[in-house]
Amino acid sequence: MTARKPLLDALVAMLTSRDALVSCLGANARYLPHMTVPCPVFALCDAMGATIPLGLGIALQRPDRHVVALEGDGSLLMSPNVLATVAAAAPPNLTMLLWVNGRYESSGGQALPAAAVDWAALGRAAGVGHVASVGDVAGLREAFTRARAAGVPALIVVAVAFDPDEAIPPYSERPDEIRARFRL
Amino acid sequence: MTGLEQIVAGLEAAQVSIVASVPDTWIGRLMAGVRLSPRLRAVDVAREEEAVAVACGANLAGGRGAVLVQNAGLLNCGGVLAGLVELYRLPCFFIVSLRGDHRDPVYYHAPKGRVTEETLRAWRLPHARADRRGDLAAQVKQGVDFCVESRGPFVLLISGEDLA
Repeated sequence: MTARKPLLDALVAMLTSRDALVSCLGANARYLPHMTVPCPVFALCDAMGATIPLGLGIALQRPDRHVVALEGDGSLLMSPNVLATVAAAAPPNLTMLLWVNGRYESSGGQALPAAAVDWAALGRAAGVGHVASVGDVAGLREAFTRARAAGVPALIVVAVAFDPDEAIPPYSERPDEIRARFRL
Repeated sequence: MTGLEQIVAGLEAAQVSIVASVPDTWIGRLMAGVRLSPRLRAVDVAREEEAVAVACGANLAGGRGAVLVQNAGLLNCGGVLAGLVELYRLPCFFIVSLRGDHRDPVYYHAPKGRVTEETLRAWRLPHARADRRGDLAAQVKQGVDFCVESRGPFVLLISGEDLA
């Protein structure tokens, strides 16, 4: 299974200045301030489950932007209903990346409830128009390119390794800084 | 003009662009009016916390979002209010049906009616009851403007009588 950082690097390398990136709390939100991201970034440090609907609001308000929402499996497990909401609203400019490691990584790596959730099947069952599953960098590159061109909301399920010793940087931006910098 | 029409007119006058909602009987009637407006985009969400985040996303993207939910749904929203609206200081305007007060004597709504305004005070959420004797459109616009100026939430509580 692939580590998080190479996957995040590959994703960021595919973004453009016409995109907008929204991240849930945790590792991705903590890495992003240390990376050169070509588009506005809104990173959460709390509010589990808010990432995808936040991205949906941005996507509906700004159809000229492609919105990429990074969500974790722990967050989506407590709010899977949002998949149906996205399917109903059907924005063609929203791609959801679900990072699946079976852990609440930001709170110490506790395991999620021990159920083998089939996230791709859940996305399809909720009516999400384009669903893919990937487990490595090459797969992510191909899936993201297809998702961006799909013309319907897309869900990419990304299997990512959990490494309890990963040196994830701490949060380095405060919410008022994040909000002020997020300009579309 | 009915109260319902005044509320929709207020949302339009406040330049609200996206209205995210989970319906109850009263909010469902109001959303039927919202859907008739060419200037308001109705977004049906599955849970009320989503409505808050959708409205915040619209605001972050240069629009104005509004949340239309029942008080039961507002009571679900403590986490997202703290972790998104308050933490990032985002405008978020609510119209909430106040079920279970003396004007709405339904046994299964009564527990919500007893705690709603006390909860709003405990959460330090600016709020007001809509006044049907006054201009509802102006009250809605004032609430939205307050959210934008204060960069925070405001809750306008409505009753079924306000829609008539």
